[in-house]
Amino acid sequence: VTESKAGALWRFGVAEAAAYRASLLIWILATTLPLISLVLWRALAEDGSIGDYSQRDFDSYFVTAFLIRQLSSSWVVWDLDRQIRTGELSSLLLRPVSPLLHHAMTNLAALPLRMVLTAPVALAVLFAVGGISTSSDPLALTLVPVALALAWLLNFVTQLAVGCLAFWITRATSLYDVWLGAYFVLAGYMLPTSLFPAGLAAVARVLPFHAALGFPVELVIGRLSTAQILTGLGLQLGWIAVLGSLALFAWQRGVRAYGAFGA
Amino acid sequence: MSGLDVGGGRPDGFEHGALARHLRLLGAQLRMSVLAALEYRVEFWTNGVVNLAWSFGGVVPLFVAFDHREDVAGWGAWEIVLLTGFFLIVSGSFATFVQPAVTESMGRIREGTLDYLLLRPVDSLMSCLVAAFSPWSVLEVFTGIGLAVLASVQLGLSPGAEQIAMLVAVLVSGLVSLYAIAVLILAASFRALELENSIFLMETLLDFAHWPISVFRGPLKLVFTFVIPFAVMTSYPAQSLIGGLSRGEVLGALATAATLAVIARLAWLRGVRGYTSASS
Repeated sequence: VTESKAGALWRFGVAEAAAYRASLLIWILATTLPLISLVLWRALAEDGSIGDYSQRDFDSYFVTAFLIRQLSSSWVVWDLDRQIRTGELSSLLLRPVSPLLHHAMTNLAALPLRMVLTAPVALAVLFAVGGISTSSDPLALTLVPVALALAWLLNFVTQLAVGCLAFWITRATSLYDVWLGAYFVLAGYMLPTSLFPAGLAAVARVLPFHAALGFPVELVIGRLSTAQILTGLGLQLGWIAVLGSLALFAWQRGVRAYGAFGA
Repeated sequence: MSGLDVGGGRPDGFEHGALARHLRLLGAQLRMSVLAALEYRVEFWTNGVVNLAWSFGGVVPLFVAFDHREDVAGWGAWEIVLLTGFFLIVSGSFATFVQPAVTESMGRIREGTLDYLLLRPVDSLMSCLVAAFSPWSVLEVFTGIGLAVLASVQLGLSPGAEQIAMLVAVLVSGLVSLYAIAVLILAASFRALELENSIFLMETLLDFAHWPISVFRGPLKLVFTFVIPFAVMTSYPAQSLIGGLSRGEVLGALATAATLAVIARLAWLRGVRGYTSASS
């Protein structure tokens, strides 16, 4: 029975994404910061490598970062914040399916269309820079889908945890903006974290930001040894466990508090 | 000039006393925004501090680049600080004045309440551009001014009259261009409301302005000088003080800003003419 419910939610999500396709496209274009970074770093690397990144390495890094960001994104924090503030959540709670599953499915269901809209942008950039190089290690390539799925889940539970704060405070999305600001700098979104000064790089690379973006990107372009790959996956799982339990805890407490003021 | 031509006696915004009326409207809107901002002090953190932190975050790559290079496309570290100061001034002005007004006006187009703005006895575009402000974001502008002054002192700059004049000319050109692009987005959203999010696209593109224009070559350099003139907004002001800006470039900046402003004004008039409020 749950399967058919999930299926129905999936179809709903696909239809919703299709209805808002123009907005979706503009959102995709608005999250092209990695492509902006690509232009800048490639210009800087014109007269020689920067750190261990040549021009082509920057191309590979940022095109991949753009794609991974698109594939691992969700927007549950904004939806949840609005639904809690306006009371919309009440009608979701009455449905015979958890609102969490509802959000997970509708967010996932937008991915196929997102890919269709992203593909031309990515192809145009690929054509402009003349191709990229990816990993040739079979183990790394097999693990790419796993790392990607974990990155999506990590982003989702993070947004869920922050979104649930809307049960108690009115500006949960602003708190997420703070998180996002740190993500831009530390996730390897504006530059590969390995270019940071050594100490900062070491710290940045164990944080959840890097697990959500930098790690899968480096996995795809083949910059990681087997040991590093396994550590990366472990960090992803660890952060999902931490942030996921926080999210579930906040959700359960929040729904109780929400019911208490008669919504 | 207004899209809603309701009657012969309607003030067109250019007759005697019109300027005072426009200024009164601006004053009233500013006062209201400031009062609201003082009421909701949490916005000091959400609009002021967070925005500032984001803008500083955007500078991190530049300073990482200095970790690996002596200079960035010919710019030294303090020169980049100067550039960052001007970037904060521009991006802070965008967050304080441009973005809130455009977002508010778009919301009104969507809900059909733009009519109330259009019916005011002032210019319709002016009415929209003062529709909302976000006063706390001005923190970013002040930080930018502070950084620019600090960097000028560190670089030992002593700009003469001509350089100050150039600075003012390119700063004004930059801000006019910024407004013009925002108005173009606003005018486009009369046609297709999905374009509402383009203002965020603009915010993303603004990240290019973090970097000196000399980083770019070929077509991108032309685009950022003449089409979306980020160069005029941040690199030129810094160059005018350092002393690397020619008169021709200043004239080019002025011409670009004027052209963009005219195009934006025409697009706006066209957009308003096509606007059939929620009730009709």
